Parts: sequence; structure tokens; C-alpha cells
Amino acid sequence: MTSLDYQRLGNFGYAVITLIGDDGFPFSVSTDFKILPDRKIVLQKPARPSKLDGKRVNVLFNHITGLPGGGYGDRRYMLVWGTTHEDHGTLRFDPESLSEWDEKILPFDQYCAKSAPQGAKYLGMLQASAEA
Amino acid sequence: MLNRAARQNRVRPDLIQVPLWVRETFDSYLVCEFTTVKSGKPVTMPLLPFYLPDSGKFVVTSSILFSKKAENVKKNPKVSLLFSNPEGSKAGKHAVLVQGIAHADDSDLDHGWEKYLSYWRKKEPYIDAYLAEREKFGWFWKRIVVQVEPKKILAWKNGDTSQAPEEFGA
Repeated sequence: MTSLDYQRLGNFGYAVITLIGDDGFPFSVSTDFKILPDRKIVLQKPARPSKLDGKRVNVLFNHITGLPGGGYGDRRYMLVWGTTHEDHGTLRFDPESLSEWDEKILPFDQYCAKSAPQGAKYLGMLQASAEA
Repeated sequence: MLNRAARQNRVRPDLIQVPLWVRETFDSYLVCEFTTVKSGKPVTMPLLPFYLPDSGKFVVTSSILFSKKAENVKKNPKVSLLFSNPEGSKAGKHAVLVQGIAHADDSDLDHGWEKYLSYWRKKEPYIDAYLAEREKFGWFWKRIVVQVEPKKILAWKNGDTSQAPEEFGA
């Protein structure tokens, strides 16, 4: 997978675990996390969902900084897919793939420019749908 | 005299009833963690949410540049919104999960989202400055409206998710 920068990951304040429930709805819950010296990611086990051993989940690490006049900046997130394993009352998270954005690394206007192919794809789908 | 919560709830008693602290979380948190489902896998992104008190629904808007979430919604309308980050708001720290059915409306990419500008301004007061340069970011302002009808709400007061949540609806 794209390399996970554990140093930047450690700067986030908390994690959001999400999995798909038996009813088909996504279930998200916030929790604390820590990174061990051997780069293992350990999540505090939430009360719900009750069973997280061996579950395929995504974990979002997100940050914003509120601005004095309202709104926010300093946006960055890491979205990591992987598997959780119950381990002595905590959850060990084994990461497998990653999607991320940090506006200090990729400024917003450049992020928009990079995303132009997705915009073109969506407009193309709408056009095709209209012509069908 | 009715208190604030009672006045809000009196409008639509058929809506999922939640305590005032949950409602304030919806109104004031600047971002939520919005999850769609793609091929059975969750995809969670931070988004700016709007709560519509008259209908009890939630709205997020998405530029076509970042429209994979809308594609996912069209294939699977089951979504969730987690409100867990009080940064930049005056509300306390809580965690509130909304599970619902989403509908993506892309019938008017240029203007359909503008009806939510008043909500947007409250959370990002500087948005008008960006709008003034609308032509500079043309495709950013081609926006899909995703409206979510909540089916179930789970709430952890003070954000303590080591405890069981309060459940509303369903």
C-alpha cells in the first residue's frame, strides 16, 4: 500500500472506526488510539460494535483547526482500511490500504486540479444518462 | 411556556426525537465523518454537514471533483454520519451517529446546492469570498446535493464510547 507515515499519523487526536453492520448500514464510532514503538496501531475498544475481532474496517484520522472568526482550516485526514483484532481488551489494527489528504502538503487548488478526472468522469456519466 | 427543545419537537412530532445536546451537536459541529458503501466496504470522509430542522434530514454537498461518494450512494443508499469532532464549535464533546438513507440529486449542479448557502455561511463565514471567485474554481462549484433521511440515531454523551450509546428511532 501507499506508505503510511506513522509520524504524521501520530499527530491526530483520535480515530473513527467504521464497519458495515449486519443491517447493511455503516457504523462509525470514535475512539482513542496509540502507536507503539514497533509501529503497531492500537485502538481503544469501544462498547459498540461488540464484536470487532477479525473485522474489515476503515479507520479515519481527521483533523481541522477552528478559526477565530468561524470556520476551519489546517485540514488533513488519513483514511486507512484494514483489519481489527481483539487483543487483551484493546484492538490491534493491521493497515492494508490508505487514502489521504493534507492541505499543507497538497494545497486545495492543486487538490482540485488533481481531481479533475473524477469531475470529467461524473459529467460524462450524466451526459450518457441524459442521452440514453 | 415551552422550553427550546419542546418548541423544536412540536413542529414535527413524527421526527426522531433527540435531546437538546444532540440537536446542538447537529447544528454546531463543523464536520462530520460521512460514510458510504462501495462494494461492501465502508468509505469514510470528513464533510461539512447541514441539519434541516423542518424535515429532520441532513444534507451534505459534494463537488463533482470529489463525487465518488455520490456514485456510491446511487448504488447503495445506506450511509452514516458521525458527529465526533467539536473543534471550532461552541458545543461540548459528544459522539452522535446517524444512520440513514441517502438520495443524491445532481439535477442542477450549478444552482441546486445554493438553497443551503445560509447553513454553509453559518459554519464557514468566509464562503462568500470563495463564491466571488466562482469562475476560478468552476468545477468545485458544480455540486451534488446528498440528502439523508435518518433511520436510527445513537448518541454517546461526552463522547465516552466505552459506554453503550443512547438509541433513538428505529
